[in-house]
Amino acid sequence: MGRINRSRSGGSSDDDHFPAMTITWLGFLSCCAVFGLVFSCPVVAQMGAASAAGQTAPAWVAQVKVSRGIVRIERGGQRFPSPVGARLKVEDTVITEANGSVGLMFADNSTLSMGPGGEVFLHTFSYDPTTYMGAFDAFVKQGTVSLQAGNLAQGAPDSVKIRTPQAEVKGNARQFLVSVEEKK
Amino acid sequence: MTISTRRPSLILAAALALELLAACSGPREYFSVLPDHDGKTGQMVVTPRQGTALTLDRTNASATVRGGEISPAKLSEAELKEMYREALSAQPMAPTRFLIYFVEGGDILTAESQRELDNVLAEIKKRPAPDLIVVDHTDRIGSVADNDRLALRRAEKVRSQLVAQGFSPESISASGRGEREPLVATADEIAEARNRRVEILVR
Repeated sequence: MGRINRSRSGGSSDDDHFPAMTITWLGFLSCCAVFGLVFSCPVVAQMGAASAAGQTAPAWVAQVKVSRGIVRIERGGQRFPSPVGARLKVEDTVITEANGSVGLMFADNSTLSMGPGGEVFLHTFSYDPTTYMGAFDAFVKQGTVSLQAGNLAQGAPDSVKIRTPQAEVKGNARQFLVSVEEKK
Repeated sequence: MTISTRRPSLILAAALALELLAACSGPREYFSVLPDHDGKTGQMVVTPRQGTALTLDRTNASATVRGGEISPAKLSEAELKEMYREALSAQPMAPTRFLIYFVEGGDILTAESQRELDNVLAEIKKRPAPDLIVVDHTDRIGSVADNDRLALRRAEKVRSQLVAQGFSPESISASGRGEREPLVATADEIAEARNRRVEILVR
């Protein structure tokens, strides 16, 4: 990454000097490939496409990092199991049964975790990793939820929103706790 | 006659009773704000369906909403920990950040960065479903837009190297922060090697 040309606008010469590095240690990774629980084909189709917004990013917005008991993802009217490694997209609903809990990590490093008997709908997630601008909007229908703010919260005030049946939460807080009792 | 004169008050009473019922029955919602590692809480603004918003900005500050109406709530740290025990224990591990530098003008990693890659691998092995984010940063030579493009190109280059080495493409994303996040603050158009770096986040 060494040389910096004075005029970058000139073209791609910088790029040519950028290291074609050899990282042999990654050979190990093929063995420990835990990855790949991709739920939908479009993810693969969109891979590798660099967007103008300044990223090469998968279509998924979050990944299940912790999954205990029964956890499901509802997508397009269908329910899928949601083991560790599963990916989430916008408009997915995450559901935990009475014995379930789940921890998600989003593309901007924010995390959402939920205790048993919970249901959260991922209404909006947009994120530009270059500028940190975007929006997060989740609806907590029921359950106990902890949200740790990520890069989006730095990008613009009020970019992070949580809604519940009776209220709406915004702000630049570092960690939100929201609990919604089940409707009887 | 008597009935008709009473009716308005009856309706009023019934409406009042309904409202009271709604306010003191039905599901409850709780909202609380916790500090981060530095002890900062920030602000959490809770706006109920009815009434005005409440701002929570002190550690463990809480509010409750019932029947669409909000009121402050007193919840101790111990109570919150109990209430959110499972949710808090399901929080994903925080990402670990690694900084990678190359020897000036070449494609060889510095000795230190070579060792750092071993740490990256060790961190990946610690996690049940690891994914990586490669973020390139530039110094302040050139325009913001050009640095964004440059940073993205470089991050993508690192990413494709990782993919070529067998790392699942779905599990690595590349992005450039350009000159927005310098490690060392400089004036514009100043070359600063320490700011030209690649960050690898293991999550």
